[in-house]
Amino acid sequence: MSLQRIAVLVSDGKNPVSGEARHCRNDSLALQVGLNLVPDLTVLHAGNADNPALQDYLALGASHIDVVPTNGDMVESLAAQLQNVDLILTGTRAENGEDSGLLPYLLAAKLNLPLVAGALEITQSGNHLEILQFLPKGQRRRVRVKLPAVVVVHPLAAVELCHVHARQILGNITAHPATNSAVHHTPWRIDTPRKPIKLKAPLVQTGHERLMAAITSKNKGGTVVNDGNCVEKAQVILNFLREHRLINY
Amino acid sequence: MSRVNPMRPQQTTSSGLKRMVLQANVKPEEAHAPKPIRSPAKPKTRVLVIAHSDRGALDDHARQALAAAAILADAETTVTVLVLGELHENLSSAGADEVMVLPELDFQQFQPDVELASLLAVIKSMQPMRIFMPDNLIGDGDLGRRLIAHSQLTTATQVVEIDTKHVASYQAGCSVLAVCNLPEIVLLAANAVDTDLPFSAKATHVDAVELNHASGEYQDLGLQTSSAAEIALEEADFIVSAGNGVQNLSTLETLALQLDAAIGASRVVVDDGKLPRDKQIGATGKTVSATSYLAIGISGAVQHLQGIKDCRHVIAINRDSSAPIIKRADLSVIGDAEDIMQALIGEIAKAKGANA
Repeated sequence: MSLQRIAVLVSDGKNPVSGEARHCRNDSLALQVGLNLVPDLTVLHAGNADNPALQDYLALGASHIDVVPTNGDMVESLAAQLQNVDLILTGTRAENGEDSGLLPYLLAAKLNLPLVAGALEITQSGNHLEILQFLPKGQRRRVRVKLPAVVVVHPLAAVELCHVHARQILGNITAHPATNSAVHHTPWRIDTPRKPIKLKAPLVQTGHERLMAAITSKNKGGTVVNDGNCVEKAQVILNFLREHRLINY
Repeated sequence: MSRVNPMRPQQTTSSGLKRMVLQANVKPEEAHAPKPIRSPAKPKTRVLVIAHSDRGALDDHARQALAAAAILADAETTVTVLVLGELHENLSSAGADEVMVLPELDFQQFQPDVELASLLAVIKSMQPMRIFMPDNLIGDGDLGRRLIAHSQLTTATQVVEIDTKHVASYQAGCSVLAVCNLPEIVLLAANAVDTDLPFSAKATHVDAVELNHASGEYQDLGLQTSSAAEIALEEADFIVSAGNGVQNLSTLETLALQLDAAIGASRVVVDDGKLPRDKQIGATGKTVSATSYLAIGISGAVQHLQGIKDCRHVIAINRDSSAPIIKRADLSVIGDAEDIMQALIGEIAKAKGANA
């Protein structure tokens, strides 16, 4: 099996300062990763076909964009378009809507496909994909996943975006009719802009405890080693590192 | 503002004047009365906290999720924590009533199918009314989303505010704060909860479930660790940092090489031109989140401490025992930086030799 049909899901982004519609960088990276694998992609957007953000994706290499409306369940309408696809690529997080990062997971569960998140590089080997996965603390992991699959591209993926105006003029956008089904949503309501409040355990103190807390400073800081020669002090540091499993010798 | 304790140690001079004794052997703080135990005697409901461990311990983010569950639990609710990966610490001070450990499901192994199947088995047997997970990059955020996709429960991800009634998270590209009622699966963002608890818990061990078999869709081809010198300072796991007390930078470089650590610096060292500007840690430089931070000859100005506030273990080597870094450090060694660095290099070489 080879990679015949790759679908990339793109969403509309917005400029964080002016609020103007533009492409979402995370999704553009997914588009470019897909273009590096095969030249012709299926690009899907759930939303409005008139959105100026879609013009950016045409310029960034999508020759054709299929738009499905969102008046039903977004996952259902996208899944209907994604039958017989070998690989589905998405960005990590959208810049609009709930941006919970859940869509690829819901889609993979719906289509019953394996999913790999945090992909930095993708290479094909037979009917498997080899993916370099991002882990924090400078670690990377190589994993292999069976096709067909859903792959979420990490924002640090090393691909270059290339904006070509001619492609924007040549590309076209098709709007598809709605498929309707139940809406799958947690009922969110927008709150007034404010700073989030941190959850703290309520502390019940007597008057004496409060007074003592005000006049004595809490003894902060850890162990202080004053005694011994250099070698002993170095041993103390090594023991600390060993105790917390920070070194393995 | 902290005030001077009027009852601090004092002595009366021969002329009858009271003199406060500086540097007196201050009594070690009286042993704290043990915190009351929160664990319910007759539990009726249960909440589940799921987190991967890192090096046999739960990190701050995972402890915040655990603290959130413990704070929100009422008197008849058990807080059960499911630790994926090895666990070598006691979680009673973190608020766990029951602990289940699945040591085979370490975050460094990529096996989402096994993890999800085992998780669903645990949930089926325990029937928790709510699930808390840290929304992090070491696998919990990924596993939580897989769980959400496979369940019909109400959910919220990247939760920045939580209380008994509702949760809030940033949406639409972090431009609005949206709230909803407390859902059944909560993926907590970092620093949404204070981990200081006025109670402790029993932390009894529960027998682990049997692991499911892999579906064969995923295969782990191994980790790629790059040497500390190649990665950005913000991503480094071990940082050796130089301050004004370091005379000989080549010794520090040797030490960093021995420990496979990245090199950082305080502002003074960078201003002197001894290290490039991109090595500076602090308010004007970089904010680092290393697991271990070795501060050598750094007094610890506020700006520098701000840059290392996310570091888990801070070790200080300093000549001055009253420097501010001593208060921040988990281990402070007082002495000459150069001598201790040389001794440390020797000891590490010896330990590595004995190990090989």
